[in-house]
Amino acid sequence: MASMMTNRFQPAMFGPEMLGFGMEWMNNEVSTGTTIMATEYDGGVVVGADSRTTTGSYIANRVTDKLTKVTDYIYCCRSGSAADTQAVADLVKYQIDFHRMEMGKEPLVKTVANIFKQLCYDYRDQITAGIIVAGWDSRDGGQVYSVPISGMLQKMPFTIGGSGSTYLYGYVDANFKAGMTKEQSLQFVANSVSLAMNRDGSSGGIIRLASISKDGVERHVLTGDKVPQFYEDY
Amino acid sequence: MSILAYNGAAIMAMKGKNCVAIAADRRFGVQAQTISTEFEKIFEMGPQLFVGLPGLATDVQTVFQRLKFRLNIYELRENRRIKPKTFMSMVSNLLYERRFGPYFVEPVIAGLDPVTSEPYVASMDLIGCPMETNDFVVSGTCSEQMYGMCESLWEPNLEPDDLFETISQALMNAFDRDAVSGWGAVVYIIEKDKVTKRFLKTRQD
Repeated sequence: MASMMTNRFQPAMFGPEMLGFGMEWMNNEVSTGTTIMATEYDGGVVVGADSRTTTGSYIANRVTDKLTKVTDYIYCCRSGSAADTQAVADLVKYQIDFHRMEMGKEPLVKTVANIFKQLCYDYRDQITAGIIVAGWDSRDGGQVYSVPISGMLQKMPFTIGGSGSTYLYGYVDANFKAGMTKEQSLQFVANSVSLAMNRDGSSGGIIRLASISKDGVERHVLTGDKVPQFYEDY
Repeated sequence: MSILAYNGAAIMAMKGKNCVAIAADRRFGVQAQTISTEFEKIFEMGPQLFVGLPGLATDVQTVFQRLKFRLNIYELRENRRIKPKTFMSMVSNLLYERRFGPYFVEPVIAGLDPVTSEPYVASMDLIGCPMETNDFVVSGTCSEQMYGMCESLWEPNLEPDDLFETISQALMNAFDRDAVSGWGAVVYIIEKDKVTKRFLKTRQD
């Protein structure tokens, strides 16, 4: 589930000539090297992400929104190439919009997750996209699906993704409990993202959270002092 | 990734009214991973002379050790403190000796003349090309960001307290736009009779 930025795409016009002229950034892909997370709770799901987008080591956007709406009740968390994940999310949004009009009711989270999976799998050699799909539907309630880089699909009670997630496996395994309340889940996700931001250079900025239930989506932003603090030696 | 960006660093120095300031971030990391937030990159070479070493961490420590050795011998022979300008030449010589297999550090020097107390700042590239300025010098992975901040915030003849605010804001806002530097900062304000070392409370991301 970890995602690292790659320099695979190097158009001919920006070539090795750019190196050494202080323009290495022109060959670096824009990446949401990132920390993303989603967890189920009793009644819905909570999703969370950091807000950093980098071009090489330059922070191109420090207030990015990586929690992207697909439907009113289903969000996706994007990690990997910023361009690739935006393109995939737009395609899924379009297709599912159509599907919803045909069906006359809200799509299942499972359906959206499968469309993401199909795109990520079919184009796995051409894109870098690590995506988490999470939402609520009337049939199965809150669900979290992980669609990592190569295009696998797995339903899970909670999942982490992005380059910062490597620092969280121990923490989330130790602290996750099934059947948490919404407030406990929000705290769990906020703590995790904060810990990853402290260690991962590609993650940082503010913490964006969203909780999704039968009542729709509630978004939160944690800035500055509101970001959970852990041991720091000042 | 460039070798100079492997560990990441941000260091700057500024001239003020009868004082100089030198400041650095405190991160020690390996590419994207942060390992320590207490890594020293500014070293004391005399009571009013400091050198900041951004770049590859192993060379930061080795260059400091070798420089200290040369400085000690100088002070024993000359029986006096070294002048900042002379020290700059010493650093330049040390780096150019390794012209075709260089140390991956791009030093920043800040100090007061031991006799006249005149402020001095200088920086150099990894093979020892020196640059002395009358305002500020920057070096590190976010040098473009630091140039922008210094150019906007610096003005001549700042008092020590104002210089502290200026250099702190310039450094912090620059490395907050860099994924491989930050995680704490240290600022030294060097005046004729005292040196004040302060740690800044910064974003830890």
